[in-house]
Amino acid sequence: MMEDQAIDWVIRLRDPAFDDWETFEDWLTADPAHADIYHAMALADEGVPEMLVAPQAPATPAKVRSSRRVWLGAALAASIAAVVGYGMIGAPHSSPYQIETAPGVRRLVALEDGSSITLNGGTRLTLDRKNDRIATLDRGEALFAVVHDTSRPFRVTVGAATIVDVGTRFNVVRAGTETRVAVSEGAVVYNPDSEAVRLNVGRRLKAVDRDPTIMLGDIAPVAVAGWKNGRLVYDGQPMREVAADLARYYGQPIRVSPSISSRPYHGVLSLEADGNLARLGGVLDARIERDGPGWSLSGRE
Amino acid sequence: MTSSGLEAVFLANRERLLRFLVAHGAGDAAEDLLHELWLKLTATQTGPIAQPISYLYRAANNLMLDRYRSTQQASKRESDWTEIVSDPPPSGERVLIARQQFELAQSTLDELGARAATVFLRHRIDGIAQRDIASELGVSLSTVESDLRRAYRAMIDLRRHFDEV
Repeated sequence: MMEDQAIDWVIRLRDPAFDDWETFEDWLTADPAHADIYHAMALADEGVPEMLVAPQAPATPAKVRSSRRVWLGAALAASIAAVVGYGMIGAPHSSPYQIETAPGVRRLVALEDGSSITLNGGTRLTLDRKNDRIATLDRGEALFAVVHDTSRPFRVTVGAATIVDVGTRFNVVRAGTETRVAVSEGAVVYNPDSEAVRLNVGRRLKAVDRDPTIMLGDIAPVAVAGWKNGRLVYDGQPMREVAADLARYYGQPIRVSPSISSRPYHGVLSLEADGNLARLGGVLDARIERDGPGWSLSGRE
Repeated sequence: MTSSGLEAVFLANRERLLRFLVAHGAGDAAEDLLHELWLKLTATQTGPIAQPISYLYRAANNLMLDRYRSTQQASKRESDWTEIVSDPPPSGERVLIARQQFELAQSTLDELGARAATVFLRHRIDGIAQRDIASELGVSLSTVESDLRRAYRAMIDLRRHFDEV
């Protein structure tokens, strides 16, 4: 039966060493209906792992600790950015400090163990002088290229969640209460002590604080952290995420009209240094206009 | 194989990749899709790639799945996250749905039997090759194959059932 044959191909293609593409092509060509059935089976298969993640009851909101306010104050004082030294809070074995980038400014941070972190604009990251294997992404976006050390896994804290590397290069976005992770090399484990969702290369995850549902999806590894090279690659992300990425990159606010905010976008955006977003209207199939200090994005009539 | 090497392999195998996209039902859009694939490949530097041709085929395969997914989404509200986030049902209801899905998925795994469930999870979640699962569990490759066939069928059927609801 055709569906069983299609599932056989789904299974074979899952094997990392699969290379019998020509036989697969022959099967696809043998009957025009094969492609559609294969697509349906493969897509259903992509939705299987999320059924295997145990949902949790929503947690009660955490109380704001007093030290948190101190941190916030420090961050506000450093709103223009650069490095803020900070060495008072916490146990003697920790010595946290923050690195912050202004909107539209990117910055590379090299760690002593050879790992590196690239910060996108509008990002705040907390590191520790006494432990170079931990980092907290307070907000914004960062690409982690981590030198793997099994005895000392690299841990990134985002909101209440933890991401642990399994030898890797991965991008993390923190926007408000939402966290997105995408893996371009190796693998990471999200919240190893609770959900323990493993993200292999080419997988992405989205979670919102206190929401038990964790969304999983695929992403072309080359599309991860395209901002680092001045190119953003999208596979159906909603326009509001595209706009948020552009705003972070250029450091200019962008308003998105509700009529196109959820519209999926497929394509590649080249990011020019001059920050003139108006030229992106064509590729985005949207109207982009100056709007006060920033831009507005709306549908074309 | 560096990314510029990958681009050379792409150009040398252009016709093969185009044929592959056509076999996937790309039709008149095949040339455009090949160009899209090219843009994606050149978009960023990649690390070393051991099997460049296989890598390109896989990228082409993923592209066609993405295309199928977006046409599906256009016609029907899907379980993809962008859809869910854009119009979330009340969170209590979502938890309930997630819990029902989780429990049904667990009982489907249970019905497959412990060995088949293990084989499936090692393959589908941990990404272990069939041959390695066979030696790990001390069973034949054909046992692994038949376990996987049953398990994927059951889990895919369950997923499709949820997607229809």
